[in-house]
Amino acid sequence: MSAGIVARPAPVSRRRRPVGKIVVFVLLLAGGLVFASVFVYAALSAVKPADEVLTSPMRWLPTQWLWGNFTLPFEQAPFARYYLNSTVVGVSVTLLNVVTCTLAGYSFSKFAYRGRNVLFLVVLATLMVPLEVIYVPLYALVFDLGWVNSFAGLIIPSATSAFGIFLMRQSIDGLPDELLKAARIDGAGELRILWNVVTPMMVSPMAALALFIFMTNWDSHLWPLLVGNDEEHRTLPVGLAAMQANNLGSGGLPMMMAAALLALLPTLLLFLVLQRKFVEGITMTAGIK
Amino acid sequence: MALTRTAPDRAGGERARLPGAGRAGWRRRRDAVGLVFALPALVLFAAFAIYPMLRVFQLSLYDYNLTSPPVWVGLDNFRFLFGDERFLASLGASLFYVAVTYGPAVLLALILALGLNTRMHGSAFVRLLYFAPVATSWVAVSVIWRLVLQPEGLLNQTLNTDIPWLTSSTWAKWAIAIAAIWKEVGFFLIIFLAGLQNIPKDLQEAAALDGAGSLRRLRYVTLPLLKPITVVVLVMAVIRGFQSFSPQVVLTGGSFGTEVINLFVYKTAFASARMGRASAVAVLMFILLLMVTFVQLRALRRSA
Repeated sequence: MSAGIVARPAPVSRRRRPVGKIVVFVLLLAGGLVFASVFVYAALSAVKPADEVLTSPMRWLPTQWLWGNFTLPFEQAPFARYYLNSTVVGVSVTLLNVVTCTLAGYSFSKFAYRGRNVLFLVVLATLMVPLEVIYVPLYALVFDLGWVNSFAGLIIPSATSAFGIFLMRQSIDGLPDELLKAARIDGAGELRILWNVVTPMMVSPMAALALFIFMTNWDSHLWPLLVGNDEEHRTLPVGLAAMQANNLGSGGLPMMMAAALLALLPTLLLFLVLQRKFVEGITMTAGIK
Repeated sequence: MALTRTAPDRAGGERARLPGAGRAGWRRRRDAVGLVFALPALVLFAAFAIYPMLRVFQLSLYDYNLTSPPVWVGLDNFRFLFGDERFLASLGASLFYVAVTYGPAVLLALILALGLNTRMHGSAFVRLLYFAPVATSWVAVSVIWRLVLQPEGLLNQTLNTDIPWLTSSTWAKWAIAIAAIWKEVGFFLIIFLAGLQNIPKDLQEAAALDGAGSLRRLRYVTLPLLKPITVVVLVMAVIRGFQSFSPQVVLTGGSFGTEVINLFVYKTAFASARMGRASAVAVLMFILLLMVTFVQLRALRRSA
């Protein structure tokens, strides 16, 4: 990659078989359009009159474009509440993760207290234990704390992450110690160094972490179902699934499509705007730099 | 890192004593501050990861319904499970789901990655089409696929078939796999593309100069170099597969042979209030995942 000038005059193979490349590209594009057709189908179904959604033979386009269907989830279900809850929980969890993971990453990277490496290994080991393994006792704990059907239950158990700590430690490892030493000689306290020296240089990994956590949390279904399954605390996935369960008649289909699309829109937009960060986050979960 | 930080101290030990004896104490105080920085995360981990982790093993030996105190039952939960058809069926459903979803998804992702690893105009757009489902939530996607999989839905109409995708024990597990493949391909595609970009270009060029055609380059250069990543991807795939919950809940509710293990744990714990037995399943799932991870990582080490 970095060998710019050397590498450039060598695309021999690219010029040799342009036809093959184009055929491959067309195939890939066709496959991609097949993938995207699911979204298009959902979007067109959302603006159809209810009795046109499932017809045989199928018609892609509605006879009437009922854009008003997008307000149905708000009228026939507490969809605004779900949206608000997902936003509150998602933003809180994200902020808490950025703070706790940056603090812990800095601590594991730049301090030399006893037991540091053991603690870091313990944190890393929890990466091997998914929520699915521990959620029964975790629920029992949250139940005992009185946090079932509360925002505390939705937010606090997700307030830090092993992946985030790992990511932040890796990134902060790259900061030269001299920089911190210089700040210390200037008499800056540790919190001040963290805020004025470390944080400004860690904006990029913090953003990648924030995006990753927010998107994961937006998708999270099982845990919110356990600790926030009353109308006041349902997040979008829980609420959507409940709407689906209550709306099996075909009358609700445009509403369900509208609701599903509205629910997936924020993370889809985030992805479109921040593609590179998104890809960065996912490749880091696989341990590729 | 630890070495580079402590080494100068040891080397400069004698010198450090001269300027002032307070220096070591000052350093210790600073490191104590460092430990304080880690505390919020550590406390959260202790309470919400490590404690439940230990407790899941403990609870698996008890009969527990959340409201009355746990009753010791020894290995009864495990003994029950190995004779329980429903548990064995859910294990089977999960294995099927993992194999039929993630086998094709990983393979498809690999093929797409090989095709999309160019700087051709428009390939960024095509990538986007495959990535998009990754950026959407499982429940929303499952709600959409519930429509796609209706008897008069998009899939049947496109294939010109009349398959009762979601209401038949023959088809429901395939239906969920199809939806999940659509959702997951992009995830592995992202990882494979990153892996391909890590392969040095000069290797490809050297092979090309030696007269290797593109198929030979693929076989002898690209694929061998992708092997470590493929192993990591397979580990991730199995773990993701065993975690599956939402598509089964939304698409079938676990009927028609789609009650995967995670859904079985959920129903055992929260519909039947058998927290002990559910913990026992979780323990078995954990051991299984750990074994898969180790076997695959060993395969990686052997090939490396």
